[in-house]
Amino acid sequence: MFSEKIEAMLEKVQKAPRYTGGEMNTKLKSWDETDLHFAFCFPDTYEVAMSHLGMKILYAVINQQPWSLCERVCMPWVDMMALMQEENVPLFSLENRRALNEFDVVGFTLQYEMSYTNILAMLKLGNIPLKNADRGQDDPIVVAGGPCAFNPEPLADFIDAFMVGDGEEQIVELNAVIRDWKKSGEPREACLKKLAAVRGVYVPSLYDVSYNEDGTIASFAPNCPEAPEKVVKAIVTDLDKAFFPTEIPVPYTEIIHDRIMLEIMRGCTRGCRFCEAGMLYRPVRERSLEHLVELAEKLEGATGYEEISLSSLSSGDYTCLPELIRELMKRLNEKRVSISLPSLRIDSVLKESLEETQKTRKTSLTFAPEAGTQRLRDVINKGVTEEDLIEKVNDAFQGGWSSVKLYFMMGLPTETYDDLDGIADLARKVVSAYFAVPKEQRAKGLRVTCSASVFVPKPFTPFQWEPQDTLDVVQGKQLHLRDALRKVKGVNFNYHESGLSFLEACFARGDRRMGQVLLSAFEKGCMLDGWTEYFKYDAWMDAFKECGIDPAFYAYRRREKDEILPWDFIDSGISKEFLWREKCKADRAEVTRDCRQGCNGCGLQRFKGVCSFCE
Amino acid sequence: MMAVFEKSERLRHIGHLDIMRSTQRALRRSGLPVSYSKGFNPHILITFASALSTGAVGKNEIMDVTLDSEVSPETFLSAMNAAMPPDMQLKSAKALDDKHPALMAMVQAAEYDLKLLDADTAAKCVAAIPAFLEQESIMAMRKTKSGIKECDIRPLLFELRGEGEHIYATMTLTEHMSCKPDMLVKALCDFAGCEVPRVLVTRNALLGHNEQGELTRLELL
Repeated sequence: MFSEKIEAMLEKVQKAPRYTGGEMNTKLKSWDETDLHFAFCFPDTYEVAMSHLGMKILYAVINQQPWSLCERVCMPWVDMMALMQEENVPLFSLENRRALNEFDVVGFTLQYEMSYTNILAMLKLGNIPLKNADRGQDDPIVVAGGPCAFNPEPLADFIDAFMVGDGEEQIVELNAVIRDWKKSGEPREACLKKLAAVRGVYVPSLYDVSYNEDGTIASFAPNCPEAPEKVVKAIVTDLDKAFFPTEIPVPYTEIIHDRIMLEIMRGCTRGCRFCEAGMLYRPVRERSLEHLVELAEKLEGATGYEEISLSSLSSGDYTCLPELIRELMKRLNEKRVSISLPSLRIDSVLKESLEETQKTRKTSLTFAPEAGTQRLRDVINKGVTEEDLIEKVNDAFQGGWSSVKLYFMMGLPTETYDDLDGIADLARKVVSAYFAVPKEQRAKGLRVTCSASVFVPKPFTPFQWEPQDTLDVVQGKQLHLRDALRKVKGVNFNYHESGLSFLEACFARGDRRMGQVLLSAFEKGCMLDGWTEYFKYDAWMDAFKECGIDPAFYAYRRREKDEILPWDFIDSGISKEFLWREKCKADRAEVTRDCRQGCNGCGLQRFKGVCSFCE
Repeated sequence: MMAVFEKSERLRHIGHLDIMRSTQRALRRSGLPVSYSKGFNPHILITFASALSTGAVGKNEIMDVTLDSEVSPETFLSAMNAAMPPDMQLKSAKALDDKHPALMAMVQAAEYDLKLLDADTAAKCVAAIPAFLEQESIMAMRKTKSGIKECDIRPLLFELRGEGEHIYATMTLTEHMSCKPDMLVKALCDFAGCEVPRVLVTRNALLGHNEQGELTRLELL
């Protein structure tokens, strides 16, 4: 119905293929012959969206059910958005070009806090009331899942139901509830109450919050019997039995990760104390080698991709990694598929056969020591030593690489200027390792890139009680590090927009009141905050002021042990006691072993048989 | 193997490089014995008779794929159509021998269907065609790498007629010289005294010379 207008708009925009659809392996199901229509909304551009594995899984899962249809919707770029507003064209899906508000369910994935304004932009463009309280019987049910759904509160005013945990089974159950409700003709509230009974689903309107005078939470409780006191995350226990798509969409245009992503396992046993994903995705569940090989062959056949990457939080930890790679090479080499390897933790025999068979382009290698001194690495429980790093870097330089990226965080709890100087030291040692390789044996053109992001304390980590460094402190540290690294020849230094990390910190540990700030900032034109050229720091600060909310309360405040945290009602599997124990060990710079070496009692043992490393 | 394929309206904004990459991936999916180039970074041996510009639909576009072993055109066609997206299906295939000249060098002209998306302008343009063609020379602006150049497109027009909102044109298309649809439409609109409307460009066929030197569809040569 808008197709004519859309066609005309596509002639004017940059990168029209973002909006055309019709890619290989996408599904064009009949609208009329399906009972439930789900719009999978990615609050970022097409190139980012199509690189996301979770979207591919859920897209395929929903379309696999004969009764439901899933279509993709991405955040339009500013040029397209302006045309849509001018021409009065609503946000539409890539497949059947349906307006967003024609769908029964509109589902957002929450990958990053700073995409929240995009969610509001997409709802608005899709003619859906922004606030859940303003939605009527015929408006879509707006749901949201993904890692940021573990602290859903900043979006509590806008999302009808959050999906916490693994989505591939949960989403089918959720859709079935909505399908049945639609047939029943009952009021919208009835649907929400039924959704609250689905494992891992949180319906914010069914809970009330009250606050203390100091702004902390006094109480948080359900306001009806249908809502559970604790929302327990959904867990897929056996990945071999879980659905994994083999016919994944293959875009025409180049996207960010333009390759097969094979999820070899979910979760991580390392227990880095800053890492939210490492806690949220517990326990570790590995796909079996046989299943992975079968999936890889099917994926290759269905996509024609030339490259496959083994995806997980820490692929080097996969139990049978060398065997898996050998088997994949055996099957995929004749098909000219290259395997991009997660890390250098591979035995030497394998390394040789890799060199023979895999003509890998020697792009840069990435290492993430995260902190500059052993003391601070112990604080964050990053089990990497300087010797490890230098050894790996050595191997790399001898193996013909000349470009290395080093990732660090600044502003970690207990960090001092000594730790920053440690970063410069480490960079210097990496440079020396390069020059230690005889000139004939090393590749030309050394490039060492040091990136330092600003630490953002996240929920469900041992640092969830910690303050973030203030902007002044961060900027002082950035300058210090820049000067220290200037003295090291061959090193490039990148650092992040500190204002963005400050806001990220506010949302990451924000409560319901942050919703007002979000709405106000959106109304002031904030959008695409993750894109530096569109980030409007001052507008955000105005929004805080207008709402009478102090951002420092969320970002800079140290929480007390017994404070009710906004996300406490969610059971992530990890216990608050474990996190506090880890926090205390961090204060003492004491490390905790990898779960594979023995159970650390994180709380998952409550769910019998879920974690294979639990005692 | 020479194959004729369609680039449908849905894909008209997909550029030539993306179409090439997608076709290569389709060839990989098809399981056909495609040949790869030698060298450090081998790629599938495939050429297109002519790049189709972004924004245009192609009804009979032509590709040439080198295969390692003999495959019947029927097998090629069915394997590829299972592997190509619905909006990019093959219509026919024909085995070419190794001595066959390069398709790119064979292309002499192309047939276009230019739909003017403004009825009024279309009527004026259609009515102006006879007088337009009577001109001895028709100067048009051609965008080149080194800037905009003026060139005479009259000798490049083999056929030009109009019907309803459509302008049907057969124009020179070679590696050295060609008349692009936008050049023609601009010149015609200027002549008819109207603004250039939105145009939906469809390339219906690629043409080469037969033994008698007559323009003939490339796939029939």
